[in-house]
Amino acid sequence: MGWGRIVMVLAGAGAMALAGSLFLVSGEQGPQAARSPLRTPSPADPLTGEEISRASEIASATLRRRMTTGQVELLYIERGDDKAAEDRRRADAYIYDYAANRFIVRTVDLAEGRVVAERAGRGAQPPPSRAEGERAAELLLADRAHGGRIRAAYARAAGRPLRSASDLGLRALVYTPRPAHRGAGACATHRCVRLLVRLPDATWPDTTRIVVDLSAEKILTLEGR
Amino acid sequence: MRLSVFPAALLSCALLVTCGAAAPAGALTPAGAPASTSTSAGALTSAGVSAPAAPEPACGSPYLIDQVLPNGARWRLCWEMRVIEGLTLTGVTYTPPRGRPIKVLRSTALAQIHVPYDSGEPRFHDIGTLGENAVTLASADCPGGERRERFVCVTTRSRGHGYLKSRPGEPNLSAQGRELVVYSAFQIGWYTYLVEWAFSDDGAITPRVGATGSLSGFDTGPEHGWPTRAGNTHIEQSHTHNIFWRLDFDVDGRKNDVVEQYDFPGSGTAKRTLSRTVFTKEAKAVTAPARWWRVVDTESRNADGHRISWEIGNSDSARYRGPADEAFTRADLYVTQYRACERLASANPAPGCAASVDRYVTGQRLTDPVLWVNVSYHHVARDEDADPMPTHWQGFRITPRDAMAENPR
Ligand SMILES: [Cu+2]
Repeated sequence: MGWGRIVMVLAGAGAMALAGSLFLVSGEQGPQAARSPLRTPSPADPLTGEEISRASEIASATLRRRMTTGQVELLYIERGDDKAAEDRRRADAYIYDYAANRFIVRTVDLAEGRVVAERAGRGAQPPPSRAEGERAAELLLADRAHGGRIRAAYARAAGRPLRSASDLGLRALVYTPRPAHRGAGACATHRCVRLLVRLPDATWPDTTRIVVDLSAEKILTLEGR
Repeated sequence: MRLSVFPAALLSCALLVTCGAAAPAGALTPAGAPASTSTSAGALTSAGVSAPAAPEPACGSPYLIDQVLPNGARWRLCWEMRVIEGLTLTGVTYTPPRGRPIKVLRSTALAQIHVPYDSGEPRFHDIGTLGENAVTLASADCPGGERRERFVCVTTRSRGHGYLKSRPGEPNLSAQGRELVVYSAFQIGWYTYLVEWAFSDDGAITPRVGATGSLSGFDTGPEHGWPTRAGNTHIEQSHTHNIFWRLDFDVDGRKNDVVEQYDFPGSGTAKRTLSRTVFTKEAKAVTAPARWWRVVDTESRNADGHRISWEIGNSDSARYRGPADEAFTRADLYVTQYRACERLASANPAPGCAASVDRYVTGQRLTDPVLWVNVSYHHVARDEDADPMPTHWQGFRITPRDAMAENPR
């Protein structure tokens, strides 16, 4: 789905962006939706592009400044499907506060146009967003030892040097330290990910011992079992 | 919790199974139907009896799936591609041929794909933002069906013999069954996961996941793997796919749902005894031979006066049991009271909520049960798994038990 990406590009960008998102999403939904982009969604329909943009704006209204500096990041918007509010159009905004290492979920009621609930805490980690995956890959490539190994494997597979992280097929997964692991203790409180990296010859170099600490912008190597 | 006294309806039901086989072929209603249970006339709202109109679907096109199968059975549900869980089905409602609509599930989705490798590392929790990793399906990937928003295939297929009964001097009484199938594919690293639900014309649901794509290529020692490729230089590491489904049952509506476990002790003797355990509080359970569970509506009854239920069988699991920090792998079924923030079986992405399904079980009283089914498959690679790896499937069955008063054909 492309919506997560659209949200990140558009968050806080205003009316032009809203119109743009309608265009993009109606393109995905086919000609029917394109002709009537303002069709009222049914209660269990996925959020429309317009609803996602609006939920992003509302959820991040008090976070704009810290979002610009990268301290806080809006990861994605998920439709709220709490049984207790089944007839309401609601959106959950997944937000990560890198400065405080806090995970925040803000629930936006779209009819009321406001945040109706906020849950926040440390420890629980939401799945990484696409932007976080790309940032992790850039950090990994900048690392002399591990990045060098990936670059060499890429050059062997592709027959040409790696230009940027976007040459790689990426999948980021949250890393949570296990009792037997050494070397990644910081990840008990930091936001850490592991990357699965696909090379052009459809192979995956073993990256399972590498952890990217996004909070500290550091590469960690796992030891022990 | 364990009840030794059974309601009359249950006992006669057990009798019906044995009596039914000997009953004359022409009998439409099983002979043993107990008169004592047909008390409340208002509750007898089954096949053909003053069927109320189907409630308005909660979704519109293209998210509504509404399929009438050749025997007249109808399935209606909504789909949604969620960022985290990926393909999610809601408002799943079955209408038997000539019957009234019966709600089965409020929602169902995958709740985790946990993949621990046999050497102890790595151990993946593959959800993830499944929705972001949905594979665009080509028309050949959705045979005979219709693709919805590129990622979801809605189609029907044969499920073999619905029944076949020989009749002296007459043609066989037989029919080919058919099922509605809804699926998506997700690319998670080297694996492609096919996530599928089949809804058959007899009211059964088969959730399953097929793993295809490629092997990881992780090399290990012979004690943790199997040699693939030429010779013995590469040992492909074995691993387990522990797949969890979250199922919010709302059998015939949200109210009055109770979860029961059935066992048939007597192994090693000539007799087996029906034994029922009612889960009044949140619970964990493991699979056992002949054990099954059901979600039963305590108020709704079929035309035979029996309580409407859907049964869960989970006998094919490899029953992986992980280390202490993976306690969520230590049961095959969890029954928890509905809580909106409890979405995944592990790595639950909700602040202020427990992290895994084993911790959702806190002894709360069950009034609105959610079921979490864990099915594991131990994958020891073989030469045939070379690219593209053939699909290996794992799943379970949800079967109607007394939702109808007869074979819904
Ligand atoms: Cu496998």
